[in-house]
Amino acid sequence: MHLVVQALILGILTGGVYALMASGQTLIFGIMKVINLAQGAYVILGAYLTMSLFQWTHIDPFLLILLTTPLLFVIGAATQWFLLRPLRPDDAVELSLLVTFAVALGLEGLMSVLYKTTLRSIQPGYENHSWTIAGYQINEVRFYAFLLSIAMLIILYLLLQKTKFGRAVRATVQNPMSAQLLGVNSKLVSAFGFGLGVATSAAAGAVFGLITPFNPGSHYDLISRLLTVVILGGLGSIGGSVIAAMVMGIGAALVSALSEPVWADFTFFAVLILVLLFRPQGMFGTKARGAL
Amino acid sequence: MKLGNTKVSKRGLITAGVVSVALITSSLVTTVGTSANAAGTLKIGVSLSLTGDFSDSGLAAQRGYTLWQQEVNKKGGILGRTVSFKIVNDASSPDQVVTNYTNLITKDKVDIVMGPFSSLLTVPASRVAKRYGYSFIEPAGGGPKVFAEKNPNLFFVQPAATTKGGDVFADYILSLPAASRPKTAGYVKLDDPFAAPLADNIKARFEAAGIKTVYDHTYPSETADMTPIISALAATKPDVVVGGTQSADAFAQVKAMIQLKFSPSWLFLSNGASSPLEFPQQIGLKNTEGVFTSSDWYPKSTAPGSAAFIKAYIAKFGGVATSIDGTSAEAYSAGTLLEQVAAKTKKIDNKTIIATLHKGSWPTLVGNLSWNAYGEPQGAYLLTQWQGGQLTTVWPKASAQKTPLAPKPAWVG
Repeated sequence: MHLVVQALILGILTGGVYALMASGQTLIFGIMKVINLAQGAYVILGAYLTMSLFQWTHIDPFLLILLTTPLLFVIGAATQWFLLRPLRPDDAVELSLLVTFAVALGLEGLMSVLYKTTLRSIQPGYENHSWTIAGYQINEVRFYAFLLSIAMLIILYLLLQKTKFGRAVRATVQNPMSAQLLGVNSKLVSAFGFGLGVATSAAAGAVFGLITPFNPGSHYDLISRLLTVVILGGLGSIGGSVIAAMVMGIGAALVSALSEPVWADFTFFAVLILVLLFRPQGMFGTKARGAL
Repeated sequence: MKLGNTKVSKRGLITAGVVSVALITSSLVTTVGTSANAAGTLKIGVSLSLTGDFSDSGLAAQRGYTLWQQEVNKKGGILGRTVSFKIVNDASSPDQVVTNYTNLITKDKVDIVMGPFSSLLTVPASRVAKRYGYSFIEPAGGGPKVFAEKNPNLFFVQPAATTKGGDVFADYILSLPAASRPKTAGYVKLDDPFAAPLADNIKARFEAAGIKTVYDHTYPSETADMTPIISALAATKPDVVVGGTQSADAFAQVKAMIQLKFSPSWLFLSNGASSPLEFPQQIGLKNTEGVFTSSDWYPKSTAPGSAAFIKAYIAKFGGVATSIDGTSAEAYSAGTLLEQVAAKTKKIDNKTIIATLHKGSWPTLVGNLSWNAYGEPQGAYLLTQWQGGQLTTVWPKASAQKTPLAPKPAWVG
């Protein structure tokens, strides 16, 4: 019983980390109907930037997120402006898969040249600390990451629902032509929206770098998990991706701890397939119009 | 013709095709060292993983080979012939490695070939060497599949087949008086042809001696989160934990143990803990205390020639002794074997190398080596343990620099 509860705690905390990483991905899809295959690579880039800044300034990695977030926002917006905006609307959805995958490979190559392929991690000294509560171990960093996820998701929600920018984004999603006629600069909105989605990987990268050793090739495992979380939750639904991340985290942890670790990821895919059989749009997604 | 909505000329396509092929081929071939075909040069061909998954180790092997080349040429080369290397990149691909060795032998007509990095690449490469009657001294392929090839031309430059890497830990544990021995053991293994068999080997010996198995599970290589697995391991409270690991997962296992406040009395890791620089960097220097692993070469090694090797390495590549990857020492040792064959027989053709190395015992940086008919070394690894922030030999007693420390001190967090 102790093991079950401990595994549940571990799963919830891990789920929080994945929710943080997936929020940007699902936001980009929701705004632009673009599947950003480079999201994992941006998270790794965020991890490297945090690591370098931490080594240079010794400022706490969680605080460094305030620096890396605007930086990644600019990088994301620039990616959209120069690489995705020129795509013709008819081909955009399919071609964006190729373009963002190319961006992922390019980022991986750049980071390999700058940082080599040795495994790195961010080590402020407290990364392995755990609190012991009622006999259960709760890792500090994962707990803070969990709180950070919730905070970021609330901020994203408020941004989209309560601000003029958010309204402009939602209008552009619903009908770009009408939005433009009403004075919304769709091109800028798309760029900023993409930038926002990429900016979340700054926080995600800092957390990821604290928890797991990483190298430039780590983005492959990440992107495959992020895509499955986002599809299970429903493309475009931030709330959905949170719940899906929790399902993934808890499911994998319980299977690893109570059964065989080799089945952990499989269980998640089994859940995904079952859900998609009955709800092709994922748990909370809207039915996609047009082919993907 | 039209590609989508753009007009592309035939000439443009052909040019693009030629340029792409040229770029791809040139990126896969890197020539290192002189490749003069003059008589009086001993040309050695090697395929290494200069890019791709194995690049860290491939580059370490390259440093070992080129350092040996520099040192041997200082002494006049081999039998008066200057040693030159042609090193080509296999990008960690088993298909490319076959192409590379075939070209080295048939097109470049190298005199000798030596091995690539990893069992995965050594197996197909060794078949090429066998087909053309070339000797195959190789520093980094020691998994069971390598020796299953039954290749009489192959010589693995490490003390034993890698599955035996845990035997020396089992020797130590089973040498303890019954009262001080562990009663229970947990095995947490990476799904890998090097790591899992090594741990299973230890398990067989422990179970035969009455040490009860309380946890025995394998995890796949893409496991991101080791904490649930270690949490299940900790719940069974094993006295000794045997980790069948490579590097990344070894670090992850230890970090998870620290986070879950689980510190076994004995902890053995098949790989990862042998990285003199990365292990303390990843888990914290104080946390290394008492962790066991097995090694063939490590910075404090007293093998003859080790001090000179370290000095020459630092002079050529910089850094400190603790930043030297063992793979460099293994590749360097492959070269010194050639020197020794030449000194003994005054010849350096492939037939002589094969016949000579199959007899007797040969001192190298990684120990005194001798092989069975199919290249499996008949020695034993050294049990090494982290003590006072350094890796040191603790078993067998004859080679021990310090006594083994047990139980392992608690984690420092």
